[in-house]
Formats: sequence, structure tokens, C-alpha cells
Amino acid sequence: MSEERQVRILYVAGALGFMAFSLGPILYMALTAASRRPDFLSQASGWEFTLAHFAAVVGTPSLHFLDNLRNSIVVSGCASALCVAVAAPAAYAIARLELPGKALILLCVLAVSMFPPVSLVSYLFKVMAALGWINTYRALVLPYTAWILPLSLWILTGYFAQVPVDLDRAALVDGCSGLGVLRKVVIPVAAPGIFSTALLAFIFAFNEFLFALMLTTDHAARTVPVGIALFEGLHGEIPWGIVMAAATLTTVPVVFLTLVFQRRIVQGLTRGAIKG
Amino acid sequence: MKLSFSGVSRTFHSGRGQVRALRDVDLVVGEGELFVLLGPSGCGKSTVLNLAAGLVKPTSGEIRFGDRVVASRDRKVFVPPPERNVAMVFQSYALYPHLDVFENIAFPLRVAGSKKPEIDQVVTDAARTLGIGDLLRVRPAELSGGQRQRVAIARAIVRKPALFLLDEPLSNLDAGLRASTRVELKRLQRALGITTLYVTHDQTEAMSLGDRIALLRDGRIVQTGTPRDLYERPESPFAASFIGQAPMNLLNVSVLEEGGELRLRLGGKELPLPPDQARNVRSLGTGTVLLGIRPEDVRVGTGSSVNRVAGTVSAVESTGREELVHVLAGGSTITVFSKGASFREGDAVTIDIPMEAAHFFGKGGGER
Repeated sequence: MSEERQVRILYVAGALGFMAFSLGPILYMALTAASRRPDFLSQASGWEFTLAHFAAVVGTPSLHFLDNLRNSIVVSGCASALCVAVAAPAAYAIARLELPGKALILLCVLAVSMFPPVSLVSYLFKVMAALGWINTYRALVLPYTAWILPLSLWILTGYFAQVPVDLDRAALVDGCSGLGVLRKVVIPVAAPGIFSTALLAFIFAFNEFLFALMLTTDHAARTVPVGIALFEGLHGEIPWGIVMAAATLTTVPVVFLTLVFQRRIVQGLTRGAIKG
Repeated sequence: MKLSFSGVSRTFHSGRGQVRALRDVDLVVGEGELFVLLGPSGCGKSTVLNLAAGLVKPTSGEIRFGDRVVASRDRKVFVPPPERNVAMVFQSYALYPHLDVFENIAFPLRVAGSKKPEIDQVVTDAARTLGIGDLLRVRPAELSGGQRQRVAIARAIVRKPALFLLDEPLSNLDAGLRASTRVELKRLQRALGITTLYVTHDQTEAMSLGDRIALLRDGRIVQTGTPRDLYERPESPFAASFIGQAPMNLLNVSVLEEGGELRLRLGGKELPLPPDQARNVRSLGTGTVLLGIRPEDVRVGTGSSVNRVAGTVSAVESTGREELVHVLAGGSTITVFSKGASFREGDAVTIDIPMEAAHFFGKGGGER
């Protein structure tokens, strides 16, 4: 067997293995959600298609699944938008201005993001309780923004640094003010990076569990991850079919967002700006 | 508009300390003139351009557009780039990748708030002038290097700038395109009559384009003049070796005086000097001087006479039309352009150095 062929086979096998590893649980989730009985892998039961669990998740008012989903989308959307709105100008400043101690700023930001959330959550609860914000969107949006901001700043700084400085200079000479350069040139050119940062921030906020568990009390602000975890069956047993159906439905907004933005994210960052 | 620099210096601070990019530069570019800044990389020529555009502030000195001071630290004046009405073509072209060709060219007009019909008219005209009228809806990524370069020039001319700044605009083009674009650029500059500052490290480009040239080295202007001045009257060995198709030969020669007559010792021969050259050499003092002679002025052959220096061919480079012959004579290598006769390595030859075409420099690298 030629070496080229071996490499090819290893490459394909590796890719397939990785895909099975990543997608296996998701497939299992979807199959369980659509199965009449959750233990469909055991010989006694077998797999039988049904949409009953999905209907139950959406149709049972006491589960508040749709409320939770709406809360999740609103909270994650706001946190993501706020994150990018704050991180973009900051990243531009770090990437372009002659700031003393740029590296120190970035390192401090990184260090702050290293605090484990569990060490913060009790104080956060006290603060939110004192403000009377428990069980509101604000109580989640602000901590999420603070928590995701360091990552956004790092990613965006990387993207802005890739925008050729000559573009800034050209825009300045062409008559733009400093803010005009950011608005008319740097942000549009770095748009793919901004979209992927926003998407990442959204997913981070969307998946967050601990803060959401502690800072919300009911469906007025509770998000999907907490909502699903608190699903309970009639006699205390875990309703696997409904849990899996809810989880499957929860992936829909994220997959949808990724597909919508994919084209923008994939398209080359600065293709054609400069020679080559 | 006239552009003038007086006593302009610029120091950059980097991690490794201070870098004096420009030292005490005086420069006047006349109305409508095409002025070339020539020099090796790192000589500060791009800093001059950035200072004129306002992208960099001078550490000291004064820059004027006509009579208006645009940058002076002493007077606390600094006009930022958007208010200078200059246009710049970057070496990298710096086209906006998210905009198509039309919008790239229209960008300065949109920023200035021009009306739509006017923008359409001006952009279409500029695109037609530069032969890119059929590419208006294409993104920069889909253009070739030459087309991108045209877009960059079109973007620069639409605003009718007071000053046109070009930073090595041809260096990313292949040789053929570079030659034709050079001619076009000169014609365009003449037609528009815009004062132009052009930066290059390529002496051919500088010689063929410039009305006048300033030669820079280590942040200083070493010589300013017309291309002919720089070629015929180099004021330093650096200027002598930088200008010319092949670098000028620079030879250490001893000066001998015999009965009031000066002779040069080179390769075992004593060569007489014509009276006016003798005056030049005498002003440098006796001892050793640097003799500069262009490869195109030296003649190589096989005949022998009193004034011919014997040597051996050490290498031959063909340029097609003629050959550049490297001759080892009297301990130094002398390059010679030779037409017709063909030489091979190891050939014994003699060379004739016509003293009337020679340039003399003092050993300290001073004036001749």
C-alpha cells in the first residue's frame, strides 16, 4: 500500500471517528426523543417512531418550555449583542492605538476570566437580591456579558489585528474620522470575525447553567438548560422522552443561527484588500 | 500647490530604543511637479510621505501646503489627514475588500458627502480614464494586480486632491506592466497637473518619472536634483553607486605629482589627467582618492596602448543587448558594458578608462 493511500485512509478514518464521537450523543438524543420508549436499545422494547414527546414538550403549559426557550433566546441575544458592542471598540483600541501596556491589559482580562463561576455565584446572588433583580433578564444578561467579554475581546483583537493597517490609513487619507474608519472600514471588513464572535457569545450564554439556576426562580426568566434539568415526571422519575425532545428542540435556534451566519463567517476575512 | 518641508525630523520610539527615521529634511516640491523620493529601504522615504499625508506627526520642523502650515510642533499646528485633501496610493493598494470597484472609487466622495449624480459621473469618468470601466461591479479579490493598481489610482484622483502621494505603486507589478504603467502614470500626472510626491527604491523608475529626485540615506537627503544632475554630477560615492543601470565603479587610486602634473596609479599604469580633472583631484588633496567611472563609459578590448590597463575577465552577465563584463584589474573588479565583442571568463583584456568621464571623491566620501 502506498504511503499516500495510507495517509488517506487514516485521514478518512480519523474524520469519521471524530464525527461519530461528536455527533453520537446528539443522534442518541434525537432517537430517544422520537422513540416511544426511552430504553429502545434493550432487546425487550425496540425503537418505534413517535412525535408524542415533542407534542408534549410544546403542548404542556406546566412545563413552560416555550417560555424558557424565549427567555434563553432573549437573554443570550442581549448578552451577545452587548458583548460585541463593548468588545469591538475595545479590541480596535488594543489592536490599533499606541496604548502603553497593551499586553498587560489583555493578560489581566484573561486572568479575570479565570475565576471559576461557582466562586462568584453566591455573591452575585446577594448583589442581585439586594438590587431586587432576581428572576429578571437583567440578572442574567449582565453577568453573562461580563463573563463572556474577555473571550470576545481576545477573539476580536485577533480579527482586527488581521485587518491590514493600510486600510485604516487609506480611509483616514480618504477623509474618514477615527470613528468613521472603525464604522466604515474596520467593522465591515472584520464582519466575519464579529459574526463568529457574536455567535460564540450567544452559544456560551445559551448553554450557561449555574448562574441561571441560582438567579432565576420561575418561567419569567428561567432559561432552557435549567428548565430541562427541572423537568420532573409524575412520580419523581425522569421523563427521558420529554427531556430529550426538549433538548432536541433547544438545538434548533443555535443550528439555525449557525446556518444563517455560516456564509458570512466562512467568506474570507480580507480577501483582495492588498496584493496577492 | 507647493509643498515644503523645513527642518523636519521624526523620531520613532520602539522597544529597542529611539529610531531617527528622518533628520532635518528640507524639501520644496513645486506646483504640479512630479517629485521622486529615492533611496534604499529603511532610508525614511515612506516617512516623508506619511508626514505629508498627516499619518505621522513631525518631531520637529514645519510642513507647509502652499502658505498654510499643516504641521508644526513649535506652533502647535497639526492638520489631521481627513482635512488635508491629499490622495495616496499605497504599495499594497489598500482597496476596501468589502466594497466593489465602483464603491472603492466612490469612497472618498461618499465620505465628503457628494451628491449621487455627481458621484456616478466622476467615478465613471475616472474608471474610463484608467480603462477599468467594465469592472465597476467586481470585488477587489477578483482583480489582477494591475487592475487593483488602477482602482487604487482611480480612487486617488476622483477627489481632485491638492497633493498626490504614491508609495512604491509599481513594485508589485511584473516588469512589463511596470514599464507601461510608468508611462501612463507620468502622462496622467501631467494631464491632471497635481503636485506629486512619489516614493521608490528603483532608480530606473525615479530616473524615468521624476521631474526632480531627492536621494535619501539614513533619514537624510544626500542630493536633490533633476535625473540628469544625479546621473552626471553625483555628489557622493553613495549617489554615484545608487544611480545608474549598473552601479558605478569606485576604485581607490593613488595620486602622484610629477613636475606640477598629476597622474593616477592604477593597475601598474600611471594615467595622465586632463587639466580640468586635475583641478578637481587637486582640490581633494593628494594621496588616495576614489575614482568613479560608469560601466557604460569604460571601454574594453584586447589592444594595448599606454593608457590601457591590463586585466582578466572574471564574469560575464548578458543583458541581451549588451554584456556586463567584470574585469579583474590591478586588484579591483571593474564592470564594463560591452556591445558587440563577446568575452569569456579568463580572457586577458585591456580596459580604457576615459578620464574626462570620471568622477572623483575624497577618501572621506566627500565632494569631488
